[in-house]
Amino acid sequence: MSDSSSSIPFRANAATALRNSTLRAAMRNATETFTTKRADAVAAFPLEEWREQVSAMRLHVLDHLSDYVDRFERNAARSGAKVHRAKDSRAAREIIASILKDHSIGRVVKSKSMVSEEIHLNDYLQKEGITVVETDLGEYIIQIAGEGPSHIIVPAIHKDRRQVGKLFAEKLGCEYSDDPAILTGVAKKVLREEFLSAKAGISGANFAVADSGSIVIFTNEGNGRMCTTLPSLHIVILSIEKLIPSLADLPKFIRLLPRSATGQMITSYLSVITGSREPGESTGAQEMHIVLLDNGRSGIISGEYREMLKCIRCGACLNACPVYRMVGGHAYGSTYPGPMGIVLTALLEGMERAYNLLDATTLCGACGDVCPVKVPLPKLLRRLRASRVEQGLTSRTEQQAMAGFGKMMKSPMLFHLGQTAGHVLWPAIRGFGLDRTLGRMPRPVFKTFRERVS
Amino acid sequence: MRIQLFGTCLVDTMFPETGEATIRLLRHFGVEIGYPAGQTCCGKPAESGGYTRESRKAAEHFISVFEGTDGPIVIPSGSCASMVKNHYPELFKDDPLMRQKAEIIASRTYELTQFLVHVLKAHETGFLGNGRITYHASCQLTRELEVREEPLLLLQSIDGAEFVHLPHADRCCGFGGIFMAKLPEVSMALADEKLDTILSTGADTVTGGDHGCLMNIGDAIKRRGSAVQVKHIAAVLAEGLR
Amino acid sequence: MTQEETIALFMDNAAKVAAEPIRVADGGAFQKALDDALAEADSIFCPAITEKEKAVQIAAEKRTEDYVSASVCVEEATAAIAETGSLVFSSQGGKPVQAGLLPAQHVAIVSSENIYETLDDYFSAIGASPPTNITLETGPSRTADIELTLTIGVHGPGRLTVIVF
Repeated sequence: MSDSSSSIPFRANAATALRNSTLRAAMRNATETFTTKRADAVAAFPLEEWREQVSAMRLHVLDHLSDYVDRFERNAARSGAKVHRAKDSRAAREIIASILKDHSIGRVVKSKSMVSEEIHLNDYLQKEGITVVETDLGEYIIQIAGEGPSHIIVPAIHKDRRQVGKLFAEKLGCEYSDDPAILTGVAKKVLREEFLSAKAGISGANFAVADSGSIVIFTNEGNGRMCTTLPSLHIVILSIEKLIPSLADLPKFIRLLPRSATGQMITSYLSVITGSREPGESTGAQEMHIVLLDNGRSGIISGEYREMLKCIRCGACLNACPVYRMVGGHAYGSTYPGPMGIVLTALLEGMERAYNLLDATTLCGACGDVCPVKVPLPKLLRRLRASRVEQGLTSRTEQQAMAGFGKMMKSPMLFHLGQTAGHVLWPAIRGFGLDRTLGRMPRPVFKTFRERVS
Repeated sequence: MRIQLFGTCLVDTMFPETGEATIRLLRHFGVEIGYPAGQTCCGKPAESGGYTRESRKAAEHFISVFEGTDGPIVIPSGSCASMVKNHYPELFKDDPLMRQKAEIIASRTYELTQFLVHVLKAHETGFLGNGRITYHASCQLTRELEVREEPLLLLQSIDGAEFVHLPHADRCCGFGGIFMAKLPEVSMALADEKLDTILSTGADTVTGGDHGCLMNIGDAIKRRGSAVQVKHIAAVLAEGLR
Repeated sequence: MTQEETIALFMDNAAKVAAEPIRVADGGAFQKALDDALAEADSIFCPAITEKEKAVQIAAEKRTEDYVSASVCVEEATAAIAETGSLVFSSQGGKPVQAGLLPAQHVAIVSSENIYETLDDYFSAIGASPPTNITLETGPSRTADIELTLTIGVHGPGRLTVIVF
């Protein structure tokens, strides 16, 4: 992945993406399909009421998060899981690696977890001599390709079937096919062997339930279930804001998450896993570890961006975003793309890294409209832009232009002068290579509207 | 009745004919128009860039220009009207005196189609026209002001013109204020996509309530060499006064 | 909603998610539905833990104790949920939940008395000490990771049949 100390060059990334016609066609197909399916899936339901309820529930949890985390830890431990608190990415990686090393495990199967991408787990484990096999089809594809996910729900959506076919033929040595059913069959065969021989499975969790100490995983393929019930060791990594109070609260999320993500009423599988295997049971890991990741979230909770932590990682905002639609996820150069990605990258990785990402929004508001938990994304993006200015991270030219603009807006005389100067100097301004910016605007008129009516 | 017209900086500087059309339109319905001198810009460009200090300056000036006047404030722009109605009070949330002034100004403010439909009932009178028209629903007008039906009611009341719905009408055209300047490649790609949907309707005219959007769409039309006309809704309606 | 209405809703929603629901009134019809569903199977696993599972008749030469290599698993679901057309499998009582995951076909039998109307009805009934694994299964396994083209039957079963008795 990119050097974490330098800022993400969004404009250059976007320009590259725009020249990739395969990518553009893939993004157009995917985002249109998802937005249509989501709209159909919510049409007959009291969506506003649901959104308000889950938003209120998420805020309640955030208000009492440390109590809920404590309660979860107690109940998870009671059910036989070992709970570890990881302050940051490094701590989480080290905890997971040491659990695996303690068991002399050199190969693990993994089901999709965005938070594991956030902590760059796979690269670290690889360096520590542990092979990670991604088992979600999209993650499997990008792992073979050596890329990161470009969407938080469908990680390989930027690739078309021919690209996947070529990739499999080259890297897996199978016969070329561009039929998704055949390609899925290839992955299924390879991964089944992995599942059956795996000594450990790593998963994320969509939610963690405080009252019962359970984790909840939504999947369609069945790989999540394979990773969490076949191996004798199961490690879960999840971030602390994923807590919900009790199992009775789960249905509200079941109704909103799949609909918002893929337009499905519910995913094919939904597993509620509570601790390790009990005597008399035939299902469950013998040993279960839950790594609770903070990585900056406690800092965010008390601040003005706390509502971002309501996010349930559905991806609806990505699908609705005109910019994301155009350029896909890799242009954002970060774990999380799209509107939620801009906010999270700024909050988790800092403004020095993320400041260019703040350009990647037209503030159209489509994201805020579709968020199932009412994260006020446009408001948060605006605030981050203001923060960017306060931190002096916009270009000097822009700051000077805005300062001049400020003076003109306050003084009619300067404003009129500016308009006249604009009219007169327009040919020269265009000559400064500003064709793509100011050059796309018409020339200021000779006689302004004010002059015509006064 | 008498209203106060805020022309907007784009109209004043680049599209004065829209301002003139707005005046013709309102006068036709018996409205007297005041045009407070000293008006400049609502401050939206600064606000969207995160320049809070500069947008406050613009807001203070706007408020000082209009507070001495009476009657509704009418603005032929969704983004400017939303700036005044939604963002001005927010800008002064820590200044009770200014906040109160901002709220009064906000409550007097109407976007043009809001005023035409809710106050003047202009859609009941209807208009005249010809050709095939489609409508781009700009973002702040649609999502921040929740003005969705009003432009449609007005356009559908044009006798002789065929109104056709634009697919994905409320999808962003890529203007986004400073976005157009900071990410021009993406802005142009979005405008191209918007133009594709416009061309799919077979319309000869595309209209909307915001010159920022119309300017961006107009640029796409120019680059494509298309014959589609771009007109502000004020101009469309002013051409068809009964 | 009456239990009859709940059952009808379940049948409707299960059909929508391609769970091939069949309702049977008596033991004869039950075995026939089972035989139909298992017609093409050559190796069948059944946990034989619940009473109804023990009553399932399977030809001896087709029965296997190995759910990993079996072509079908036939078992009783703990419950079903009408709102979504889902089956619920729990690890309670020694049931191997993964047995329904590995074979290519899953035949689930469920008592009409164990069908809950809504997700809330089911989840409020679980209590604070759930068994190690509760899995809701709604239709066959699927993916759309390649170009959003739907493929049915990935790691989990590609075919799910539900017999309501």
